[in-house]
Amino acid sequence: MTQLTHTDPGGTPNHSLVQEDWEALTFKVHRSAYRSPAVFQKETSRIWGHTWLYLGHETEIPKPGDFKSRTLGGRPLIFCRDSSGEIQVFFNACTHRGTILCRHSEGNTKFFQCFYHAWAFSNSGELAALPGDDAYADVPGFKERHRLRSVPRVDSHEGFVFISFDPDVPDLLTHLGEAAHYMSLTAKIGPQGMQTVPGVQLYSVKGNWKLAVENAMDGYHFAPTHNTFVGYLRETGFAVTDDDQYAYDLGDGHGLLILTGHNGRIGMVWEPRFGEAERERTVAKRQEMEDRLGSELAAEIADASRILYVFPNLLLFDLEALTIRQIEPVEAGRTDVRAWQFVETGEPDDVRALRIKTMVSFVGPGGLATPDDIEAYEAVQRGIEATADSADPAWDWSDMSRGMANEKQGNQGRSIDEGAMRSFWRQWSRRVEDDATPGA
Amino acid sequence: MGRRTVSRAEAEDFLYREAQLLDEWRLDEWLALFEEGGRMEVTTTDWNGWDSSSAGAFMCDDHDLIKARVKRLKSRKAHAENPHSRTHRMISNVIILEQGDETVWVAANFIIHRYRDNQAFTYVGRYEHVLVVDDDGLRYRLRRSIPTMESMAPGARLSFIL
Repeated sequence: MTQLTHTDPGGTPNHSLVQEDWEALTFKVHRSAYRSPAVFQKETSRIWGHTWLYLGHETEIPKPGDFKSRTLGGRPLIFCRDSSGEIQVFFNACTHRGTILCRHSEGNTKFFQCFYHAWAFSNSGELAALPGDDAYADVPGFKERHRLRSVPRVDSHEGFVFISFDPDVPDLLTHLGEAAHYMSLTAKIGPQGMQTVPGVQLYSVKGNWKLAVENAMDGYHFAPTHNTFVGYLRETGFAVTDDDQYAYDLGDGHGLLILTGHNGRIGMVWEPRFGEAERERTVAKRQEMEDRLGSELAAEIADASRILYVFPNLLLFDLEALTIRQIEPVEAGRTDVRAWQFVETGEPDDVRALRIKTMVSFVGPGGLATPDDIEAYEAVQRGIEATADSADPAWDWSDMSRGMANEKQGNQGRSIDEGAMRSFWRQWSRRVEDDATPGA
Repeated sequence: MGRRTVSRAEAEDFLYREAQLLDEWRLDEWLALFEEGGRMEVTTTDWNGWDSSSAGAFMCDDHDLIKARVKRLKSRKAHAENPHSRTHRMISNVIILEQGDETVWVAANFIIHRYRDNQAFTYVGRYEHVLVVDDDGLRYRLRRSIPTMESMAPGARLSFIL
């Protein structure tokens, strides 16, 4: 293995920031990958500019005219359902002079009108009103050329809407690969489907986006980082274990942890803190799932928790309850996070209340666990300044070799090893560092 | 008819006393400000008046969770608050919204400055509390914090009591 000095991080492709050696059983990531504005710029262009990105869930905009404005990959967008019920995704910029067209974060409208010169666009993108149009030649042609700009690719899987700024990406299902199956498992939990609810956690962390991905794919941190949460569960009568839990490389950077020992699952695996009423309902709910889906599929959905990472910006937490987390990198050291509670459509009010209370007690910046994860990302982001341009260049690498010997023997990687992080970093390197394949 | 009328001054004293306990990290004394079964909520920044049991939130603690939160925050293993943040709370614009038979609804504005890791964070919002009126004082039935910010600013987590 070559040791490299990275005075020019993200430089030539030979000088990879990800070093893997199956003889020495080492896997290292150069810390400039988290620090460097130049690396961040490459990521924005080569990842966010050229792959499918999770935008939002269809149930966020259930009615014709519903919209959300949302920034993805640094680009302001409008995510809306047009008057005929079709999902539309537009760049949120007036085609006239580029003004932010929609300055509300959400709402319902038939038209988006720019305040600057009063151009108005229908919710399917037509330029519907052009004040003083007698001063333009060929008004119909002009209007057609100045439709709202649609994001080149929009597609959805199980209600999860993805977009691509690059028209030439492969189909969404090709991109999702094996991850599609696990999204489908989660989507089948509710007999009437699944939906987001209002009450979106919007927060921002002073850490690189890849630290948030690593953290979600890293079962090794759970016991020490979440010591107090594990203690809380123990007091409620649930003993956390890391035994027999595994991590899966789903290809193309997607990763999965399947967890059986961290928590119960509302409606599926009872634990004492859910209460006695929920215990009985869990039995009935399992029967409902078996009747609807067959016992094998019901068991696959219900018996284990899953943390699914869909490269590059979606984390689906199917744990005690469900949370969709979207990662939006802002700069090398800052990441915006958006999290939606994901619930069964039509479930009883008391179950909904239990689900939200339970999930919020774990996740989010006010939970009993996520703040310690945030502390970890932020402490890494601060700590990696220490070894930048250090006397010995070897000090400026982070180690992710845990479990490589086991993996080399052909065994399934454990959740408490670092295999899922390695598969993420391999995809990252292919995307960001390989100059030959900037797209696809 | 209420058992007795709660004056704005009494509500202010209660809130100021609470702010002092929290700023001094006297969490056991703070916990005693809740009635048995009392709850605590921190709404998300898109909150539109909905019931916390039907929508997401930043915090949605029943009494057991509040106790678990206090226990956690007293532990050296609550990494996000070890060391503890320094907080400095300003409370104003206290209003008695409504006095009921057992309870009084109190609103107030807050600005909380939080300092940690050589960084400063400002949390701005309002309280809308439901307090149980006893002969000897007030107790939380529902302690609700409603952030005014559009989102939590970079690094501005809610690892402390807002």
